[in-house]
Amino acid sequence: MELLIRHKSIVTFISCTLFCIISLSVQGSGFTLTFEGIISGIFSPFQKGYNAVQGGTSRFWVGFSEFDRVKADLALTRQKLETYEALDEDLNEIRNENLRLRNLLGMKERIRYDSIPGFVISKDPDNWFRTLIINRGERDGVTINMPVVAYQGDTKAIIGKIVEVRGSLSRIEPVISTDIKIGVKLGESKFPGLLTGYSHNSNLCKVDYITRAAQVKFGDVIVTSGQAGVFPPGLVIGTVVKTELPESNPYQKIIVKPAIDYNLIDEVFIIKKNPDKDLFDMFEEMQ
Amino acid sequence: MIYTYLITAAVVLVSMLIQGHSSFDVIRIAGVKPDLLFVITVYMGYSFGSFHGEITGFASGLLHDSISNSPLGLMTLPKLAIGFVVGMFGRSVLKGNMAAILVLIFAASIAKGIITLFLCYIFHQGMISSVIHVILPEAFYNAILSPMLFFIFDKIYQGELQREGYL
Repeated sequence: MELLIRHKSIVTFISCTLFCIISLSVQGSGFTLTFEGIISGIFSPFQKGYNAVQGGTSRFWVGFSEFDRVKADLALTRQKLETYEALDEDLNEIRNENLRLRNLLGMKERIRYDSIPGFVISKDPDNWFRTLIINRGERDGVTINMPVVAYQGDTKAIIGKIVEVRGSLSRIEPVISTDIKIGVKLGESKFPGLLTGYSHNSNLCKVDYITRAAQVKFGDVIVTSGQAGVFPPGLVIGTVVKTELPESNPYQKIIVKPAIDYNLIDEVFIIKKNPDKDLFDMFEEMQ
Repeated sequence: MIYTYLITAAVVLVSMLIQGHSSFDVIRIAGVKPDLLFVITVYMGYSFGSFHGEITGFASGLLHDSISNSPLGLMTLPKLAIGFVVGMFGRSVLKGNMAAILVLIFAASIAKGIITLFLCYIFHQGMISSVIHVILPEAFYNAILSPMLFFIFDKIYQGELQREGYL
């Protein structure tokens, strides 16, 4: 006993190292998740509390400092609303016509999904992982693998998917994460590929397995393919900024800039779409 | 010593909040944030020895892992190891001038990055490009901030350091 006390720093070091190695080895087991859940549960009220105080103070200050700008914005928004109201009638007409033509062609009706709005309250604290924590969780009907979209100006784009859900918090894995894999296709030519994050600390993505025959141009839009059943098809992810054609590789690699800047994500919308079970199970088994 | 533990816990929590909350994204330079929890770990090892360094590293690492998407232990083990090793040298070997602190934090950050990358390769997903995109920029950022942070921590732990005979 005396020996242990005398060498307490070495004993502590060995014990803690063993704990870490065992924990890393059994990651994903109930024990690890429960332990993380407990610490996360203790810390999340502080995060939410801070977020509420910071948000309240910020809104209070904005009320004074940006009053004139808000007035001007309001006038502009009213003007836009009138335009959109006029457009709505046209849109309804086009939608009905589209539906009728789809029926005539025997095509499946496009499914519309509801969404849950949420706010980003925290980001991953290190430079190795790039996840976002939002203030919506199990209680709001969020489940794992739901796609998440956001708006930036008039642009609506996929920003990631839900990978972890707790009571009133969820974690989003963004499209720039190296852990994510999304089935995508080129907007115009429809060539398929697999999108993932470019590197641990980059705001870009890369698309692999695009056939060399595909003509890819700077600015081409990349959209979700809808394969694997997690993301609805046709949602914008970003645009092509670079292509690479390695001699030894039968495929070309595309570097993509996401339509929504990761650093500017603030308000998000979780699409209430659960993965297509059969497809999802099949891909999980393959992985 | 209870005072030291309480102060350390408070400093760790505040640093965690600064690193994790999106309103502090302004501290991100070239896409990289400093690892404040790591600087605290090194400081504790440097000032109070291996035991305090590894305990701070372990506790802050666990907190870090629970908030981050990393597997539990991935951010803990490097902090624990560096806290322990730095504590073996400490103030008695490394004199507290600015150059020594800069070199210490830079070297320790590189070592931490390499251990993390190694663990990523074994337990998660490692990418050698992380050396350029994460390890080196983070080490520079940590090193640049370290003299100021060490000065602040010296003020916070003034009483304890006097008791230890370093001031």
